[in-house]
Amino acid sequence: MPQPFDSALALESAAPASAMPRLRVLVVLPMYGGSLPIGRYCVDALRDLGHVVETFEAPSFLGAFTALKDLKVTADRLEYLENAFLQVVSQAVLAKVETFGPDLVLCLAQAPLNHQALKRLRRDNVATAMWFVEDHRVFTYWRAFAPFYDVFAVIQRDPLLEELASIGVRDALYLPMAALPSFHKPLELSPVDQRRYGADVAFLGAGYPNRRVAFRQLVHLDFKIWGTEWDGEALLARHVQQGGARVSAEDSVKIYNASRINLNLHSSIQARTLVTGGDFVNPRTFELACIGAFQLVDRRTLMGELFADDELATFDSMDGLTEAIAHYLAHPEERQAMAARARARVLAEHTYQHRMRSLLDFIAQRRPGWPAPRTADAGLPADLPEDMRRDLAGLLDRLGLPADAAFADVITALRQRSGQLTPLETSLLFLDEWRKQYL
Amino acid sequence: MNKHLVIQLARFGDLVQTKRLVLSLLHGAANDEDAASNGVHPTPEVHLVVDVSLVELARLVYPGVTVHGVRAHGGVPQADVLAHNARAFAALAAERFDAVYNLNNSGLNTALAALFPPDVVRGYRTLNGQPLRDRWMRMAFRWVAHRRLSPVNLVDFWAALAPRPIAPARVNPIALRGGRGIGVVLAGRMSRRSLSPDALAACLRAVFEGLGGPRVTFFGTKAERPLLRKVLDHLPASVAGNYDDLVGRTGWTDLADALAGMDTLLTPDTGTMHLAAHLGVPVQGFFLSSAWCHETGPYGPGHRVWQATLDCLPCLEARPCPIGVQCLDAFRSREFLSFLSGRPGDRNPPGMLGMVSTLDDVGSTWLTVFGEDASAPRRVELRALVGEYLGLFTGEELADHDLARLLYHEADWMLPGPEGAAFAAFDPFADEPVHRG
Repeated sequence: MPQPFDSALALESAAPASAMPRLRVLVVLPMYGGSLPIGRYCVDALRDLGHVVETFEAPSFLGAFTALKDLKVTADRLEYLENAFLQVVSQAVLAKVETFGPDLVLCLAQAPLNHQALKRLRRDNVATAMWFVEDHRVFTYWRAFAPFYDVFAVIQRDPLLEELASIGVRDALYLPMAALPSFHKPLELSPVDQRRYGADVAFLGAGYPNRRVAFRQLVHLDFKIWGTEWDGEALLARHVQQGGARVSAEDSVKIYNASRINLNLHSSIQARTLVTGGDFVNPRTFELACIGAFQLVDRRTLMGELFADDELATFDSMDGLTEAIAHYLAHPEERQAMAARARARVLAEHTYQHRMRSLLDFIAQRRPGWPAPRTADAGLPADLPEDMRRDLAGLLDRLGLPADAAFADVITALRQRSGQLTPLETSLLFLDEWRKQYL
Repeated sequence: MNKHLVIQLARFGDLVQTKRLVLSLLHGAANDEDAASNGVHPTPEVHLVVDVSLVELARLVYPGVTVHGVRAHGGVPQADVLAHNARAFAALAAERFDAVYNLNNSGLNTALAALFPPDVVRGYRTLNGQPLRDRWMRMAFRWVAHRRLSPVNLVDFWAALAPRPIAPARVNPIALRGGRGIGVVLAGRMSRRSLSPDALAACLRAVFEGLGGPRVTFFGTKAERPLLRKVLDHLPASVAGNYDDLVGRTGWTDLADALAGMDTLLTPDTGTMHLAAHLGVPVQGFFLSSAWCHETGPYGPGHRVWQATLDCLPCLEARPCPIGVQCLDAFRSREFLSFLSGRPGDRNPPGMLGMVSTLDDVGSTWLTVFGEDASAPRRVELRALVGEYLGLFTGEELADHDLARLLYHEADWMLPGPEGAAFAAFDPFADEPVHRG
């Protein structure tokens, strides 16, 4: 177990609330896509739980990939270079693992960690987990890599869990989506923002075929559509905001806060069935609920175990949707009560903190002896002058570390800082190097 | 999308094998409830670019399609190539296609792709001068590296580029005997894929006897006339005196007219074979050397293929055969000839698989009726994975989990963009804003 940094420092400990010891977790983000923000939410949640988190910033490598695509070489050479590039990125993850020494490498869907690297981590007894926040029926490639992870968390139950077992994934876990309360929260909007983002009915998301068709029935309403890929929909054109530009995460929270009814229609690539009745529940459901914003969401088969009937207003047909819109526009008090119950449920059970805790508990249960005990590191000299003890306490506070943080964790946190360091910070790094040479 | 262009710059057989794609673009939207519910009137316009030598054939096989001829193949002065193609390309550019299906992995296709906005081109395209292959094309290169496992017929492979492929059963008619005797294709463009004169004559004789001595019609190019003479030398008078010689004497229309209604067509893997399948003529295909029926066998139900199965098959035609084309011997065996004549013996023909064509959800495929096909179980599993990828079915239980890594490579999901990010178009969370935290 990590050695307390300095037990004499009189700060309240932010140690993990559960019995889980403070872990070192490397979160490997994907280079792109919808799982990228979810990875960042995981980072925040793990830190909230008191763990020491490093992030592998795969999006930083995108520039190199873009350069490859601008080489103007033959297609087979480009593909060779892409594979070589992915090898380098995987090697970079491994280097990060060797330097940081994590108890867990947590990857989000599309994370650039190839199967050779995963084999290496398994050989080195570094626990790996993938949170595959995708629909396995559409993203069929999970078969190619799932067995290389120690733990494979998914947002769907059977048959996926059975299929994972059949291909040799022993430790698979149902881990539904969630929200981040520090980000997905109620806002007091200025009158300007309320006017700009508000509407009776709003939808934020991409123009998938089922949504395009479904929303044609709502054009008589005060209806705002936010998000991309709505081109070519003449009927909806006047409802599409900002010319169909991508909406920032911050603005999305404002939109959710400002709208009387937020529509949440799960996407589908076909328009034959507008309301598909699929299984997994999307992140938007949790985010809207966490914000305390009222939503009308299409019914999903896994929704019942996540929310009670009086916590979410659902629909399972277009007729049901239009009736519900009329009803809830006329009954603001019902909207508010429903949204409040949904928010309470999310805060109680469906935050990323809850998910990360579930994941870590699952890993601990399935991997006896995990996390491996760490070699004790020496604490700071005990006879520090009072003013220095005070300065150190302040530093730990600024670093977001508890008073009993291990020396190694303090050094890790300092190395993550950019720019010029203070004399105290520099002296701690110096001490770390000094110890490597002389202790 | 209503205006489609298909670029098919390969040969005769490839043009006919483009049929499911072309029909899907023409008719796939007719049953497309998505399109109907979108209020899009499904009246697609399909154009096809082929070599000028194939324009007549393209019009024959694809009525209702606008055919453009370009000078893609050799044998003409460079000035003609430049002048003709500049005019043809100007006409194509003026059409403003909604989608362009560029089918061939060749520099010609890559160059022609530059005529169109990159985001409308499927298959092989260029982006800022960089040639790119769609994910689906990349996948094919992966399984072609293990050709015995090739899970998809070329017809179905190209058709999968269409937004909504038509059902396999709608591509070609069920092949039925038509009463007009036996057709014989002397050779294919690649000579090693063809039977030698003595072997072809022996096979023809067996089928001739099995069918009770019907009339025989020979097909081929002018260059193959000497070959006809050699084949005739190996035939008894009952056959050699009862044949029609169309070798080097048919245009495309004559060829189609002559093929229609045949009882069967004996052929190596040739364009004429695919035309026969298009017309519903039962094919008996002789597949050896580099020919592999799971890739380019005759499409649709009612055909038979005799597939040689030495361990080295399917081979590369471009490399000299170090064992003297031993796969040819299977077609000379007594057991095989007995089988062909309708009097199968106790022993299966050695070195060969007997296959009959059938259809499944993915497309046209083959059932083994005799012989041991050791690669079949893995091929079937790979086909199931491909079907799952295409969204045709889910929950496949596989014995060989490594096959998923043959089909999917890490660049498919780790890298963004239409080539790398295999599934970005279907990303259920793609609409979630990017949190820059």
